[in-house]
Amino acid sequence: MSVTTRIVRPAGAGHETLAVLAGCALILAIAGTVVTLRAAPAQSHAVAANQLDARRDLTAAEQGIYADLRIALDEIDAERAGQARLPAVAALADMGLPPFAQDASSAQRGAHAWTLVADGAAQAYLGLSADHTVAASVLLRVAAAAPAHDHGHADHAAESQPDIWMHRSVQAAPAALDDAQLARAGWRQVIARFDAGVTRQQR
Amino acid sequence: MSPIFSRRRLLQTGLAATAALTLFPLAAQARRLRIGITLHPYYSYVSNIVGDLADVVPLIPAGFNPHAYEPRAEDIKRIGGLDVVVLNGIGHDDFAERMIAASSKPKMPVIEANAQVPLLAAVGASANAGRSGKDNSGQVVNPHTFLSVAASIAQVNTIARELGKLDPANAEAYRTNARAYGQKLRKLRVDALAGLAEAPGRSLRVATIHGAYDYLLREFGLEVTAVVEPAHGIEPSPAQLKATIDQMRNLDVKVIFSEMDFPSAYVDTIRRETGVRLYALTHISYGDYTAQKFEQDTAKNLATVVRAIREAGQ
Repeated sequence: MSVTTRIVRPAGAGHETLAVLAGCALILAIAGTVVTLRAAPAQSHAVAANQLDARRDLTAAEQGIYADLRIALDEIDAERAGQARLPAVAALADMGLPPFAQDASSAQRGAHAWTLVADGAAQAYLGLSADHTVAASVLLRVAAAAPAHDHGHADHAAESQPDIWMHRSVQAAPAALDDAQLARAGWRQVIARFDAGVTRQQR
Repeated sequence: MSPIFSRRRLLQTGLAATAALTLFPLAAQARRLRIGITLHPYYSYVSNIVGDLADVVPLIPAGFNPHAYEPRAEDIKRIGGLDVVVLNGIGHDDFAERMIAASSKPKMPVIEANAQVPLLAAVGASANAGRSGKDNSGQVVNPHTFLSVAASIAQVNTIARELGKLDPANAEAYRTNARAYGQKLRKLRVDALAGLAEAPGRSLRVATIHGAYDYLLREFGLEVTAVVEPAHGIEPSPAQLKATIDQMRNLDVKVIFSEMDFPSAYVDTIRRETGVRLYALTHISYGDYTAQKFEQDTAKNLATVVRAIREAGQ
């Protein structure tokens, strides 16, 4: 009786492992290439040295005041109805318009003392903070009035950024209201940006 | 005048009259906008802006949770009959754009309601992302602008302005209605704050279950110290829950705001372990769509926050 010897190679031996590994490497290489080619460059939204980003650089109190001031500007524009003269701070406070109204919220957010300041034709609402560790002092520059029934102009103004500045140590009104002088005095302009959802497909 | 010429004149006049009669009702209909909305607050905003001058149509039926909604064929079909869709657009209605793309009107104009709202970073703890280092880009934003009075007024103004561009004949009415509605909303906040004798003080630390109330709490000058949900609408794992409870103990959190509409079983665990006071706020995303819903629910939310501040001060 002859004995036949057959060598059975174990499953998953060398060549199969190699083939599987090569397959994995190929899949990874293809996936890596596709991801690299399709990756959108990260957009950086740098702010200038004399600017503050409303989302990243402000405290909770400052963010609240900034949001209120932006909508207060719509109301101020409606109130002045094309007149050059801006509504008085007391009138805005009487309307309950934040941040001018004095209430528990304004006390919590730095107890700003609001005044209307002017430098030639330029006008602004100035809120001096009682506690700079909570919130900075705030300046809202208001552009010259649009003619009463020129809503196109008003719309355009409403769609641009409101002109709001902050200062974290100032105790008095700025000497002048132009960009250069404010920046020199340490005021920084607050800017906000609209991101239409990074989770959303752009059309 | 020849008889042939006269007959042709008659025919032309007849055709013109028929065309005018057929087209006039269409033209009248075209002037009445049909406006799609995605979330309950936007139904209230747009209804108050347009009054009887246009129709407001919810994209998703009442009763669906917008955090977990998946578009259905009949909802997509409804989009074909709309003229414009008002979007939250910053993460709370991402389904809408897919629905519009799949509808019979893929080029439908949309109104970005939040275009003029200063947005906050996604989660309470990373609200000041530059400092926490969690999300340095700050590109992922908190989409719950519709829960605050200030951000709602900003959105109402934007929507009214954009609707006025699409429907110039009614632009002035939209603008007037928007301003009146804004004043009504502002009064809610004035009334709520009148119930607060003094400011909450800087020692009051608050946490929320859902990262939805940063915009609302900013109006009281409060910052959210901790958010329990690890991501938008995601329940925490036991390990994450423990970490949050430890964090709340360390930071001496006094008040936690939970969800009225989407209750979670683990909220009781947090209350038991930390001993903080629990108050339920509404996400304004549940129930029937009504024009008054936003102001009614916001009044409740403001009253709840005021009560929480008052009781924390005792």
